Amino acid sequence: MPQPRTDKGATVKSVRNHLSNPMDDVTALVRQALELSPQTEELARSRQALETQTLMLQSEARYRGLLEAAPDAMVVVNEVGEIVLVNVQAEKQFGYRRDELVGQQVKNIIPEGFAERLVSDGMRSAAEARTQQIDAGIELSGRRRDGSQFPIDIRLSPLEDAEGILVTAAIRDISVRKRTEGAVRQSEEHFRLIVSNVKDYAILMLDPEGFVVSWNDGAEKINGYRAEEIIGQHFSRFYTAEDISSGKPAFELEQAAQDGRSEVEGWRIRKDGSRFLANVVITALRDEKGRLRGFGKIARDITERQKSEEQLMKTVGELRRSNDDLQQFAYVSSHDLQEPLRMVSSFTQLLAKRYKGRLDSDADEFIAFAVDGCNRMQGLIQDLLSYSRAGTNGKALREISSEDALKMALTDLRGAVEQSGAVVTYDSLPAITIDETQLTQIFQNLVGNGIKYRRAESPEVHVSASKNGHEWIFSVRDNGLGIDSQYFDRIFILFQRLHGREEFEGTGIGLAICKKILERLGGRIWVESQPEKGSTFYFALPETERK
Amino acid sequence: MELIGMDAAPIEVLLVEDSPGDVRLTQEAFKDAKVHINLHVASDGAKAMAFLKHEGEYANAPRPDLILLDLNLPKKDGREVLAEIKDDPKLRSIPVVVLTTSSSEADILRSYMLHANSYITKPVDLEGFLTVVKSIDSFWLSVVKLPREVSA
Repeated sequence: MPQPRTDKGATVKSVRNHLSNPMDDVTALVRQALELSPQTEELARSRQALETQTLMLQSEARYRGLLEAAPDAMVVVNEVGEIVLVNVQAEKQFGYRRDELVGQQVKNIIPEGFAERLVSDGMRSAAEARTQQIDAGIELSGRRRDGSQFPIDIRLSPLEDAEGILVTAAIRDISVRKRTEGAVRQSEEHFRLIVSNVKDYAILMLDPEGFVVSWNDGAEKINGYRAEEIIGQHFSRFYTAEDISSGKPAFELEQAAQDGRSEVEGWRIRKDGSRFLANVVITALRDEKGRLRGFGKIARDITERQKSEEQLMKTVGELRRSNDDLQQFAYVSSHDLQEPLRMVSSFTQLLAKRYKGRLDSDADEFIAFAVDGCNRMQGLIQDLLSYSRAGTNGKALREISSEDALKMALTDLRGAVEQSGAVVTYDSLPAITIDETQLTQIFQNLVGNGIKYRRAESPEVHVSASKNGHEWIFSVRDNGLGIDSQYFDRIFILFQRLHGREEFEGTGIGLAICKKILERLGGRIWVESQPEKGSTFYFALPETERK
Repeated sequence: MELIGMDAAPIEVLLVEDSPGDVRLTQEAFKDAKVHINLHVASDGAKAMAFLKHEGEYANAPRPDLILLDLNLPKKDGREVLAEIKDDPKLRSIPVVVLTTSSSEADILRSYMLHANSYITKPVDLEGFLTVVKSIDSFWLSVVKLPREVSA
């Protein structure tokens, strides 16, 4: 080696000069050598030296070619941290031209870590350095010419040169990787935070044998154990003694391992020994090769929910019972009341029949009142019976023509129609699903009312129907007395009447029955009316779902 | 047991009815009957069967031409009485008219399944009741030809 190792600056300069355009230099030197006469020792030595140098330069040129082909930025640094060689990637990454980089301190483009390392490692032998940094990339920060910093991954490899040890740094811009890593880390962090902060669910992980690996706040809240008390313990301790002896914990894990998931509800034990009803989902966790890595377990305390469900069921049961009782009561009482009433009524009527005019006029009057009272009472009881039966005949509903039902009602109303001279008209009416008798009953009541509560002129009643979304709305319009709006609700209540018995007969049952029938079918009934201008009764029935 | 009728060839009717009021009303209604009727009354199901089988105090009871049977009776109810009559070869040819306050479809169906000859719901008003009894009189006791006693 011709260059003395002492003058580091010179070495750098010479390398730099040679490398600035190596092929030109080589050519020049060779030409020079050929021109010289190899006569003297001196000259022979010179030629040898020149040949050596030529080989070196050729090797350097190959090295140079390799550097340029490398995908990473390559920076060659000498022992004192000066950049001696860079490739085109280094120019791109750091934003300097080649001639600006060479000769600079590496500290200028890698502010921290790199230069210090060179010093601390003291540039030991290549072998030493090599063992130290065989494949460990170090993450540092690079600085571009414009001062902006970016994360880099550096791999150092020492290179024993004629001028000493040089270090080649392969530098990779890892901004994208860092950002991805950051995002992944953040997402993992968020996920961890969510899991650990969830209070209403116990979320824990078990290893494949069922030992607790992780434990969140919810698990502590529900089971009572702190994480440090339970991690490493077997999860069967949450089960009741009976469940443990019947092998339930193992069975549930097997189930999850087999089906991927198992969901159960059962009693579990808290740290303090108290029991709670849990809904537990165990999910088998497998790696990409399908090996069982453990189980995720999510549990919820459903004791309260269960309690309120039971309470609800109990209340529903009581309600149903009391409703049945009421129904039964209405039926039985009206039926049983009818028997003694029939006796009173029959015998007062027999009295009236046999003894009218044979006692005095007071007696006739008293008997007449008794007979009238009995008749009304019987009417009320009959109505009460029909009301209690309304909508409860339990027949399977089928689609019928509502027009036919109206015609049937009109047949029943024939007497009233003829007597009053009423004109009843109707539009084409749809087919709907309802018990035909009940619809007939509704029409009979509504049309009957339209005829009954009439003004001086002859009554006109019109029936029509229209579709409104998923329901049919029927209307029964009359030109009768009309109703004051303050009574719009009252008229649908059982036995509520707006007129005295002397004006219009009836018990006030008709509209109450219509309302009961319709409400049982999910429908409704209402009225629009003005006194002296007539009324329109509407009823809505949900359209039947077609299969 | 009461006897109503005044002619030499009376028609024997057994009324099985626990309500004295109804018994009386039936008697009143039959007063206007076109034929002479001997109306016998049994106030419960057990007595009705004893009457039909001539047991105890009914040893000399006549075989009725028609039975009017209430369904809701003490001791043995009308449905059992009906079943026993229609199960007995000696008695099953006697027409049984169920006369009851019940208008329940289950009772109606069951009565006919047990071979009741007709089913009538008692009307709640007097006129209706009188009409029904008159109809029984004119149909079962006048229009219809009844069988003679069979000795099976």
